[in-house]
Amino acid sequence: MPVSTFTGLQTSLRGLIAQQEALDTTSHNIANASTKGYSRQEVLLSASRALSIVTGSTEGGSQNAQLGTGVDVNGFARARDKFLDLQYRTQAMRLGGLATRVQGMETIEGALAEPSETGISQELQTYWSAWEGLANNPEDPASRQAVVEAGKALATSLGELNGQLTEAAEVAEAQFQAIAGEGGEVEQMAKEIALLNGSIRSATTSGSEPNDLLDRRDLLLDELSEMGQVSVTENADGTIEVGFGDAATPLVEGTEVNWPQEVVEPKGKLGALLELTRAGGTIESFRTELNAFAETLANSVNAIHTEAGGPAFFTFVAGEGAATLAVAVDAEEVQTAKDGSVGGNDIATAIGALRGGAADRAYASFVTRVGTEMVEARNGETNAQALLNTVEERRESVSGVSLDEEMTNLTSFQRGYEASARAMSALDEALNVLINRTGRVGL
Amino acid sequence: MTMRVTQGMTSRSILQDLDNSRSRLGTIQREISSTKRISKPSDDPFGTGRTLQLSSELEGYKQFKSNVDDGTGWVTATEASLSHITETLQRARELLVQGGNDSNGQVAREGIAAEIEALTEAVKQEANVTYDGRFIFAGTETETRPYELGANDEYAGNEGSIKRVIGTGVELPINVNIKELLGEGNAAGDNKLLDVMRDIVTDLRGGTEENAENLRGTDLSRLSDNLDELTRVRAVVGATTNRLTTAGTRLEQLEEASLAQLSAVRDTDMPQAIVEFSTQQTAYETALRSAAQIIQPSLMDFLS
Repeated sequence: MPVSTFTGLQTSLRGLIAQQEALDTTSHNIANASTKGYSRQEVLLSASRALSIVTGSTEGGSQNAQLGTGVDVNGFARARDKFLDLQYRTQAMRLGGLATRVQGMETIEGALAEPSETGISQELQTYWSAWEGLANNPEDPASRQAVVEAGKALATSLGELNGQLTEAAEVAEAQFQAIAGEGGEVEQMAKEIALLNGSIRSATTSGSEPNDLLDRRDLLLDELSEMGQVSVTENADGTIEVGFGDAATPLVEGTEVNWPQEVVEPKGKLGALLELTRAGGTIESFRTELNAFAETLANSVNAIHTEAGGPAFFTFVAGEGAATLAVAVDAEEVQTAKDGSVGGNDIATAIGALRGGAADRAYASFVTRVGTEMVEARNGETNAQALLNTVEERRESVSGVSLDEEMTNLTSFQRGYEASARAMSALDEALNVLINRTGRVGL
Repeated sequence: MTMRVTQGMTSRSILQDLDNSRSRLGTIQREISSTKRISKPSDDPFGTGRTLQLSSELEGYKQFKSNVDDGTGWVTATEASLSHITETLQRARELLVQGGNDSNGQVAREGIAAEIEALTEAVKQEANVTYDGRFIFAGTETETRPYELGANDEYAGNEGSIKRVIGTGVELPINVNIKELLGEGNAAGDNKLLDVMRDIVTDLRGGTEENAENLRGTDLSRLSDNLDELTRVRAVVGATTNRLTTAGTRLEQLEEASLAQLSAVRDTDMPQAIVEFSTQQTAYETALRSAAQIIQPSLMDFLS
């Protein structure tokens, strides 16, 4: 059975179209080489359906054969590994949490200003020295004043540090609201995911592959997982259901967004912020320790100061020692001797001897604890960053655009296009001979 | 399948390596310029705790040293005063021996009595000595004059003890209970210095044979006893001075040791830091150079 005269032209045309689309895809890849979240795309080519023809007539009768008809473009595939995405999101969640914790802790550590010449430890030393100075000069009104002033400076610094802890908690709370609150980042991302779900569904049902939309949605999921734990369930229509943290209902269901919701342990950035601010959390436990220090200080000084019936040196509200510590005496009321004599110094000496005692130790251990937790958080962050880098590297190896590779492809598709065009010209010339010259013998 | 390496991967890892390198460089630079290895608790949490502890110890030693200095001044003044009293008493004893001599007539004894009365005033004057504006022999009533000059021998101070802390938990009394030495005169009849001096004057002026006997006998022995007691007290004061001096030297050594420890914990080991700084700097520059060479070329440079 003969085939159409123009079959070859059609075959070449298919080649031209396929090569052109491959060139277009390559251009698309190159254009998006630096686009965040972009996955490189490949043209899926396959040989188009062959023509069945009956070849010549031999002694054994006619035979069937398949005549190739060129190439078809089946689609555009996105180079992506779902399992790497899962790993990436787990690590992004860890890193998000630890990085936020490091930030919060840095504020607290900075507020301590230790070790330095201006921190509370130095003021504590000045305070003890003032008492010992008074023990050497109990008759001197200036020495009494010095004790009162040193006590006030110490109380003020403690109050300030406590205030900075409160502020750090408030900042973390505000950050939490900005992310998880109404109209916050989580809701914004969820809304965009829901929108994308809609577009992806219509594309999928009409049979096309919305690669760029999928990339965008995956990128949003990556970013969302920095905020908290994300779990994704894929549906047949291309949409996804997104669970967030330990929220009761999914954050995104198809094109629906359910937010704000209450989360207790969302992990990620939100989890770290909650851990900083929650009752019994990091900041509160620091504050408890600071209060304990303030109260130890006040009680140990007061115990000696009131021994001979004198007034308490410090006052404070129990449980809020750091915030409420205040000097309750003026210079004349400062006690130096149990017998009330002007030159006696047993009280001043005993208070001076508190240096290096329970209060000093309580403060030093508080500072050490802040430092240790900071180191732990920072080590965790470094570690999570390294793991994230590894996953990112592997993911990039699968999905990233390699310009060398694209240049190679560009060259081969270009040549392919040229060759198809050449094949078409060859056919054209052959047809020219057939149509314009055949049968014109002797004219 | 070999791993695909894309331009994105290369530039990301180069950026990360450069960041790390730069942050290490920054850390060492900070250590060098601040001369402190620890500038915040997280640089070394336990080192920070130790730093606070050592700083507190150091402050304590400084204060102890100032206590020792103050105590030394006080004790030196005490010693000088007691030495003057001793000299006065020795003079009184010479006069007493002279006055007890039978060859001296009553007129001569009256003269001696007047001089001893003056010496008594001198002793009381010494007991009223001040150091840094404080009466050092008034117990803890340091703003009260211990003895009135004149006939009244009552002691106005108290017997409180004044102490200086010269080490952790080490208290040293630095004042002398002058009432134990001088007593309160005839009114108390306590056989102490003032009582004896007043009796001597009475006996010198009395003129009877019994008075003369007293001068040669009991008065002389009582005065000698008081001189012995004074010598004993001065020995105690001398020992206090020695303890203060020793404590001062020991505190000096302790302070030095603490300072050395503090420096070892907190300060930058300069030679090591500088060597590390150059190493990191070289590493950073090398990374920059290689980055410049890796980022530039691509296949496009070679396709015509």
